[in-house]
Amino acid sequence: MEQNRIVWDGNMAASQAMRQAKIDVVAAYPITPSTPIVQNYSQFVADGDVDGEFVMVESEHSAMSACVGAASAGGRVATATSSQGYALMIEVLYQASGMRLPIVLNAVNRALAAPLNIHGDHSDMYLGRDAGWINMVANNPQEVYDLNLCAFKIAEDYSVRLPVAVNQDGFLVSHTTEALNYLPDDEAYKFIGDYKPHNPMLDPEKPVTYGAQTEGEWHYEHKMRHEHAMYNSFGVIEKVLAEYKELSGREYKFVETYQVDDAEEIIICMGSVAGTTQLAVDKLRAEGKKVGLVSVRLWRPFPKEELAKYLGKTKTITVLDRSAPLGSTGALYNEVAAVMVDNGYNAVLLNYVYGLGGRDMTIDHLTEIFNSAKECSDAGKRVKPLIQTINLRGKELSFY
Amino acid sequence: MTEEHLLKGWEEFEPGATLFSFEGKPDQEVHHENNSVQHSVADWRVDKPVHNKEFCIDCQFCWVYCPDTSIIPDVDDKGKGIFGHIDYKHCKGCGICVDVCPTNPKSLLMFADHLPVEEALRQWPEKEEKK
Amino acid sequence: MSEMKQIKNLKQFSTSKERFQGGHRLCPGCSHSIIVREFVNATDDELCVSTATGCLEVCSTIYPYTSWDVSWIHIGFENAAAAISGVEAMHKSLKNNKKSFSDKPMKFIAFAGDGGTYDIGFQSLSGAAERGHDFIYVCLDNEGYMNTGGQRSSSTPIGGATTTSPAGKVSYGEKKLKKDMMQIMAAHGCEYVAQSAPSNWKDMVKKAQKSFAASGPVYINAVSPCPTEWKFDPSMSMEISKVMVESRVVPLYEIENGSKVTVNYKPKNHVPVEEYLGMQGRFKHLFKPSNKHVIEEWQKNVDAKWEYLLRREEAGI
Repeated sequence: MEQNRIVWDGNMAASQAMRQAKIDVVAAYPITPSTPIVQNYSQFVADGDVDGEFVMVESEHSAMSACVGAASAGGRVATATSSQGYALMIEVLYQASGMRLPIVLNAVNRALAAPLNIHGDHSDMYLGRDAGWINMVANNPQEVYDLNLCAFKIAEDYSVRLPVAVNQDGFLVSHTTEALNYLPDDEAYKFIGDYKPHNPMLDPEKPVTYGAQTEGEWHYEHKMRHEHAMYNSFGVIEKVLAEYKELSGREYKFVETYQVDDAEEIIICMGSVAGTTQLAVDKLRAEGKKVGLVSVRLWRPFPKEELAKYLGKTKTITVLDRSAPLGSTGALYNEVAAVMVDNGYNAVLLNYVYGLGGRDMTIDHLTEIFNSAKECSDAGKRVKPLIQTINLRGKELSFY
Repeated sequence: MTEEHLLKGWEEFEPGATLFSFEGKPDQEVHHENNSVQHSVADWRVDKPVHNKEFCIDCQFCWVYCPDTSIIPDVDDKGKGIFGHIDYKHCKGCGICVDVCPTNPKSLLMFADHLPVEEALRQWPEKEEKK
Repeated sequence: MSEMKQIKNLKQFSTSKERFQGGHRLCPGCSHSIIVREFVNATDDELCVSTATGCLEVCSTIYPYTSWDVSWIHIGFENAAAAISGVEAMHKSLKNNKKSFSDKPMKFIAFAGDGGTYDIGFQSLSGAAERGHDFIYVCLDNEGYMNTGGQRSSSTPIGGATTTSPAGKVSYGEKKLKKDMMQIMAAHGCEYVAQSAPSNWKDMVKKAQKSFAASGPVYINAVSPCPTEWKFDPSMSMEISKVMVESRVVPLYEIENGSKVTVNYKPKNHVPVEEYLGMQGRFKHLFKPSNKHVIEEWQKNVDAKWEYLLRREEAGI
């Protein structure tokens, strides 16, 4: 497929994918660092580049509420948010997924206050972890673009009918311009396809009630139906990603790996830090060190089986969590630890809480982490604290 | 109380817990099994309203002010709404219909729920003198 | 534009297709469903309805049953207006792009209690009204959080005893005056703002039809006497509603295009507020000699408000 080459940041990549998807209703509210998505889309409206309705609401809570109303009404719907806005939306995120509405949310990840901070970390993504949305993670603008197109197709598949969030790191991805390839408008739209309504409120021939109260005899069954759809989505996501590879030549997997086959120390992470880690791996491999990287692409549903394929042989696994767990190990760590136990794997596990509020994580920091892990590999047991920090000022801080 | 046949397994429900009002098109007016019109709230009632057509002037106040859609109108030859019957499956016995009934004596009165309608009609009071 | 449904009298109105069915779980004598029926049965247009969390929502759609013969959505307590604005936006979008499901005229209504309107849903309502969606917002105003056991809201009138503003040894109940939502919504520049009471079906239906004919945001404040929490016999709901109107506690009036006030009904006989208060358990404590001043204040407020409305009407502004 002939593609166009262009320089976009993550926000523009998301905006352009939204434009190509011919969304019927976008209801949104600006918040740093996702604001440019809302601004870009406003410009599309002002220039007549999109035909759908753009509803500039008065809060993120209303943004997602209007999205839920619009999706129930029967058409393609998307929005974007970050951080406090995500937190304000959270109540309605649960409603969107529980009503099985295929809304696409561009979540430009940012720290949660207090203290206030506008930069990237995964606190907001973790907050939405249990909200019943499919969550994908894009590590650079190209991935933001590609995963957005896939998100609509996955969300709207009848056997899924779940909302999808495409996460990208605030500023590090959202405001970083990179050269990327994008599909011609008609090809992008053809890939997603026309919206296929299911039980639209706007069809007067079949009045429908959305949002009934399900008490004791009903709630469990509906939640488990939702759960079932979530697991069903693995197959659909796989299929859509394969179709997208066929079309674009770009391949996406539930977990992306780099140099893991013979790796003795593996870092598992999500988001833009994967790119930096890849460079650290290259550097250490050049020094003869057997290090590798696993970057989790699909945060929900969590690809336990896929992840397990790469963790059976390594000596040490270090999981990077970009959110303060505040009282336990990090959320990604917990997922990985469960996979290890489920499969009877014995590698040493370490957890780093890093990059909060946009704090830098450089190749040197990652080298330090790999080296620290190596000490555990050599000892054949954990000789470092379980939860460690990196690039934090003050006395060394670690837990367990 | 929930009707047993509606207690389906998780895989049988409509995704998103949606409910439908009608079987088929709305103009066929066949209500869906999930329409509350299928559900009886008769056991909420202690007293029931009884209608006496002898005094009724078909003013339809009882119809408009019934909170439970339980005054079911008929249509006369001229296409006008007239009193039809009381839907005892959905009447909760609030007594508003009796309160708003303007005739003297009233054309609707409350009686114990167990009292047969014929007996209630036999007990109907005479016209009241204006106070 | 759809044709206005002809409703001259109840004989005609009662031939309407019923759009809100029985079998719901609202309390006996609840005024909510009376208002809903007066409203939704006043048009033959297709309807999409959103409802805020509250008595109406919880009682009309308890799974596995819905009482609505029209499309309906409930999301949360605070977002009935945002929800319907999304539905309306989708309607507009599909229509503009020739993707509509139907050519039939479609109207959009949000129902919410006073808690979902005056308090928690205030922002969402303000936003949707400011954006100018083509929707009708009907507040079922029963002056408190009745769905959760009768707590006070900013619609609870002074002296009202609720479970969070109880009357006690040193308190006469609610201390604040009821928030004036009518003026607030008029200030939004809504095309049509009106107050009605269910006991005056003609007034309600007329206002419903004016709402359906409007193309911009509409706000209706429909007072909804609550037998359970106002503490009166369920059969008395319409009596109470009537006395509210006759005593001018609830003036039936409308404000068009943000400013033009019309008082739709002027009671001929002066019914003192005391009579209205005396019909309900929630004001029982006001009749203690030590609380007499609250009743006096009530009357003063009602008179002042009535005078204000008449002067606005007369001045044409």
